[in-house]
Amino acid sequence: MIKWSKKLVKVAAVMAVTLIAASVHAEYPKKPINVIVPWGAGGDSDLTTRVWADAVEKELGNPVVVINKAGGGGVVGTTFVANAKKDGYTLINAGLSNVLVTPNFSKTPYDFDSFVPVVKMTAVPLGIIVKNDSPFQTFDDFIKAAKEKTVTQGSWGAASSGTILASIIADQAGYTPKYVHANTTAESMVSVVGGHIDSAVSFPPAFGPHIKAGRARALVMNQKMDAYPGVPTFGDYGIKGSFEGWSGIFAPKGVPEEVVNKLVEVTKKVMKDPKVLKAYENMGAVVDFRYGEEWVKDLKVTYDIMNEAAQKMKE
Amino acid sequence: MIENILQGFATIFSVGPIVGIIIGVIVGIIFGAIPGISAIMAIAIMLPLTFYVEPVVGITMLLAVYKAGIYGGSISAILINTPGAAAAFLTAQDGHALTRMGKSGKALCMALYASVTGEMLSTLVLIFVAAPISLISLKAGPIERVYLLFFAFTVIGSVTGESISRGLLSTCLGMLFATVGMSSITGATRFTFGIPELMSGFTFTPMLIGVLVMPEVIIAIRQRNSAQGNLKLTVSPNPEDNRISWREYRSVLGTIIKSSGIGTFIGSLPGLGSTTAAFLAYGEARRTAKNPEKFGNGSIRGIAAAESANNAVCGAAMIPMLTLSIPGDDVTALLFGAFLIQGITPGPTIFFEHTQVIYGIFAGFLLTDFFLLFFARIGFKFWTKIASVPRYYIFPCVTIFAFAGSFTTNQNINDVLLLILFTMFGFGMRLVGLNPAAYLIGFILTPMLEQNMDQAVAIVGDNYSMYFTTPFAWIFTGLAALSVYSTIRQRKRAKVKRNDSACLEQGEAVADKV
Repeated sequence: MIKWSKKLVKVAAVMAVTLIAASVHAEYPKKPINVIVPWGAGGDSDLTTRVWADAVEKELGNPVVVINKAGGGGVVGTTFVANAKKDGYTLINAGLSNVLVTPNFSKTPYDFDSFVPVVKMTAVPLGIIVKNDSPFQTFDDFIKAAKEKTVTQGSWGAASSGTILASIIADQAGYTPKYVHANTTAESMVSVVGGHIDSAVSFPPAFGPHIKAGRARALVMNQKMDAYPGVPTFGDYGIKGSFEGWSGIFAPKGVPEEVVNKLVEVTKKVMKDPKVLKAYENMGAVVDFRYGEEWVKDLKVTYDIMNEAAQKMKE
Repeated sequence: MIENILQGFATIFSVGPIVGIIIGVIVGIIFGAIPGISAIMAIAIMLPLTFYVEPVVGITMLLAVYKAGIYGGSISAILINTPGAAAAFLTAQDGHALTRMGKSGKALCMALYASVTGEMLSTLVLIFVAAPISLISLKAGPIERVYLLFFAFTVIGSVTGESISRGLLSTCLGMLFATVGMSSITGATRFTFGIPELMSGFTFTPMLIGVLVMPEVIIAIRQRNSAQGNLKLTVSPNPEDNRISWREYRSVLGTIIKSSGIGTFIGSLPGLGSTTAAFLAYGEARRTAKNPEKFGNGSIRGIAAAESANNAVCGAAMIPMLTLSIPGDDVTALLFGAFLIQGITPGPTIFFEHTQVIYGIFAGFLLTDFFLLFFARIGFKFWTKIASVPRYYIFPCVTIFAFAGSFTTNQNINDVLLLILFTMFGFGMRLVGLNPAAYLIGFILTPMLEQNMDQAVAIVGDNYSMYFTTPFAWIFTGLAALSVYSTIRQRKRAKVKRNDSACLEQGEAVADKV
């Protein structure tokens, strides 16, 4: 009996080894790819990822499953992927806040270096929004008022990407707003159009519909957009830097290079699909497809800027 | 208007939308009924399916999942005392009490009729008076919500049993536990003791199941050798006990209408959700009931209040979304995304730009209610059988669902550990007489209160008069005071009654001796 079972173990071991060897050599992907979204279902990151996953799944002919692992301001899901197997079957929806901002504010079990950036799909330009009948007609009015008295500004948490971007802007313009933190930027837009707060920092998916309906105005935005004609950019006011949220796919560090290449290759095709482009446009995002070394370099620069701002805010 | 609605019905009465609604209703009921798998997960899973169909089909299907999912939560709440959705946890209090009496059919019927009525009423409000309501809801900013949440806390008086002080203590525990994790306002981590898994606080589903459901299983194990332990619940042979007569329905219709009103109001305010609505309606129904002591012990009025309110939220949550492009809760946020991907931006212009789609969706709403009534009713025969299965089959299944459900919410093994810890905690609470329902109310309402309070403080600054200048402040403070007063009065009266009967018994005993 014992002998028999020993034999069985040997056979199983040999089989396992060959299987592993085979799976290494086999072409990626051979099984469902999980993409972890460290936020709840229905947010911008979630939708961006779902559109990408759905298109990539078709292109690869292999399931791409989106899993929401929300909590801890994105830390829970991001940590999970940082510690996941580096085989390319666990990826993460990465963005400004979970990989560039949060590690600078709290002790996270991961850092920017724990990941390999794969692709960036979309960007959303930050804007400063006021109610339609607000006394602030221009960003200059706003700056002037904010220097003289308390002006409230909606954001989504003291250690959030929104507040860090807002504070970099405020620092350069020389004012200090009083932040009112909601759970999401959609909620702070409610407070703006309800007249409860003076302004908010927000992204087009949240403020777009309000502007379209004539309930809110954008004073200034990160970049010119056809949908919002005549809105000046931060650069016009001499404020330096890039103020945008973005959504991309990262893999845990140590993932084989052919996995990254394969995903980039597939995404290249996907980002030409008019259906995908239309879906992103409908969401209010700007398609900003990037990958490769130059992009990673830019990310590192942004990381350092965030680090500096975070240190300043902590003081 | 009427013309548009009729046109909407014309749009919806074709194969695609009807099949979509049927699939949505069935998926929603099943997902809603399984603890730990919520309607929002079902919608997230089905979302990509809707990319390939017409907006009317896709969106009505998702809405059907939403509505049926909220209702489905009541089935497991009633039959096995395991709320499938958080909003159904008050339904479990009365519904399962009825099941223990062999009247599971009655409880299920009441929950279904109340759900459907609540949904219909709020859908009608959505169709006809969405715009004016949305303007009121915009006026309710952080300051007003703080008062509303204070009022919501008074429901504690309705769920605590004999001892108010133990109920309040339980609520305080809930509030304390709610503060664990990263503060979404300041970003500070609280009570995590350096454990990164606690950054996001305690996950709700494992806690809910651990505190509310698993202690029941332990109690059943303890009683395994006693007669009570072996007893299986029988379904009463009397058909009257397993249905709701027209007279019974009419007797609670007032409660249903009032609760639907509360649900509609709460639903139209972004960010409060169906659980809060169920709390408020339940508390209000108990306050005005003739025999409040029946609440929690199998009152159909209690079921009617909780279920009609939490379902009324579904229709009403669409009001801020469609008129102001503000998603009111996590489910509507997901639906908002579904609209966007379809190329429709929810907002007031939707009524002009996509008239046919939007009225088709409205008609789909009403049609969903009928299908829900129909499919849920078919299932009753089967579901009531579950209640009569011996407990030694039921409880192992409940345990498996509890563990699986805890895992699936975030697909995180730590949540299973959390379930085990909270099972011990919940059992300990039972042993010392603390109240799990009051505990959960504290846990659910505290994060909302904290967030709105913080926003209110930032907005008010040093202009303290702002706290008192809003009419909402006076209305809700008044209602809260009224609620506290009537709870105390009811308790006094009940106490006098008990004392009287105690005296009587004592007197008889003395008389016997003599």
